[in-house]
Amino acid sequence: MPPPVARMRPLLGTLVEIRAGGPESRVNDGIAAAFAAIERVQRLMSFHEAGSDVSRINAAPVGCEVAVDRETYCVLQHALDLGHRSNGAFDITIAPSLVAAGFLPYPRLSGPFQRPASGDHVDSARFSDLELLPARTVRWRRKGWIDLGGIAKGYAVDVAVAALQSQGLDHGLVNAGGDLRGFGERPWPIRIRAPEQPSMLLDVGSLHDEAIATSAGYFCNARVGSTMVAPIVDPTHGRCVVWNASISVVAGQCMTADALTKVVRLAPAALPALLDRYDAQVVIADADGARFCGRDRLQ
Amino acid sequence: MIAPQWLWLPVAAISSTAYAATYFTTEQAQQAIFPGKMMTAAFVALSDAQARQIEKTSGVNVRARDVKAWKVEGGGVFVLDEVVGKHEFITYAVGIDADGHVAGVEIVDYRESYGYEVRNAEWRAQFIGKSTADPLQLTHDVRNVSGATLSCKHVTDGVKRVLATYAIALK
Repeated sequence: MPPPVARMRPLLGTLVEIRAGGPESRVNDGIAAAFAAIERVQRLMSFHEAGSDVSRINAAPVGCEVAVDRETYCVLQHALDLGHRSNGAFDITIAPSLVAAGFLPYPRLSGPFQRPASGDHVDSARFSDLELLPARTVRWRRKGWIDLGGIAKGYAVDVAVAALQSQGLDHGLVNAGGDLRGFGERPWPIRIRAPEQPSMLLDVGSLHDEAIATSAGYFCNARVGSTMVAPIVDPTHGRCVVWNASISVVAGQCMTADALTKVVRLAPAALPALLDRYDAQVVIADADGARFCGRDRLQ
Repeated sequence: MIAPQWLWLPVAAISSTAYAATYFTTEQAQQAIFPGKMMTAAFVALSDAQARQIEKTSGVNVRARDVKAWKVEGGGVFVLDEVVGKHEFITYAVGIDADGHVAGVEIVDYRESYGYEVRNAEWRAQFIGKSTADPLQLTHDVRNVSGATLSCKHVTDGVKRVLATYAIALK
């Protein structure tokens, strides 16, 4: 079997690597289709692009119905479901806190609603204030801003894998800056970075037809006042958290793995039920090594 | 409340070098962005004035004056460029079509980790005795690294600089 073909492009604010193998005539087209699927997710769900579904939702006032793409609707459904299951720890309406901490720019809102009217407190909304209506429309009960940064990267990995599979490739791995998913017969050995020394890699086992995502602060922390914080907001107090260990989640879908990494940090009490619900495994790495919890997924 | 059951496992193997991968040769990258097109080398050395102008237009520092550019048959330019970040050293290719738009960006070569070795030795020492296998596995196989997101800002800034270079010195 020839080694898989590997490509890397800057997308989703990170570097996305795709490795894939299969019938020689299909590999290049398959990888091109996978990158195209990721670009589509970026266009739909970017907080930064004024025309994205996310920006249109953020521009809409209370009560206004916003039609969104099927894919955006699917991610929103999953995000709100996780919000309920985690007792609010996974909350896509924490965007105002990320803007306040400098992790996101002030949104470029287009359309008839350029800016929220004064007195419109976008930071008081919770995930449950965004209503999902039939026919793929959404509506604010109370005005907020959403950011899908905690879940859309994982979703993009899932659709890229689906694109590789639909092009008839035998095996492949999509890695969006550390959120990754593999498929096919071969095992994919996985390393995670040691959080205190990110150039060091810990071998944690191999993936088979599943995904792993990691949250850690070593590349993305910012200084707020005198403390270093991560782009993870605790919805109970609306502030970014301090992040020390590296938290990875292994699950069937990368979207789930991506979102659950935040829940592990913010809502440990909800964890056993969530790991059970999603057949997921947690790997925490810190200065003492690695520890595992949940389903035995990595081999 | 049910407490999660944690299982501590010894770290099976620690790799001392971080990720590095080569995706393309220059010729392969040219063919990936401009399939079937002939390329003619058109390397340029930027003057002081040009470098200043590029910095002003793009808002990005010009570190290297030598621009590795190729003219593409039928219009367009292929540029091979490098960026150095805190954690990474990246060679990448930018294709610019005849209208001055980006036709494609491909990473050609990516490597991490330089100058960490001394600190690594000290850091590794704490794992000795905890490992079930050789604690130092210097393999050179494919690395699938799950980790915090490494920003692609250096590459996107680099593309901005290459577009300004095109407008000022390559068109």
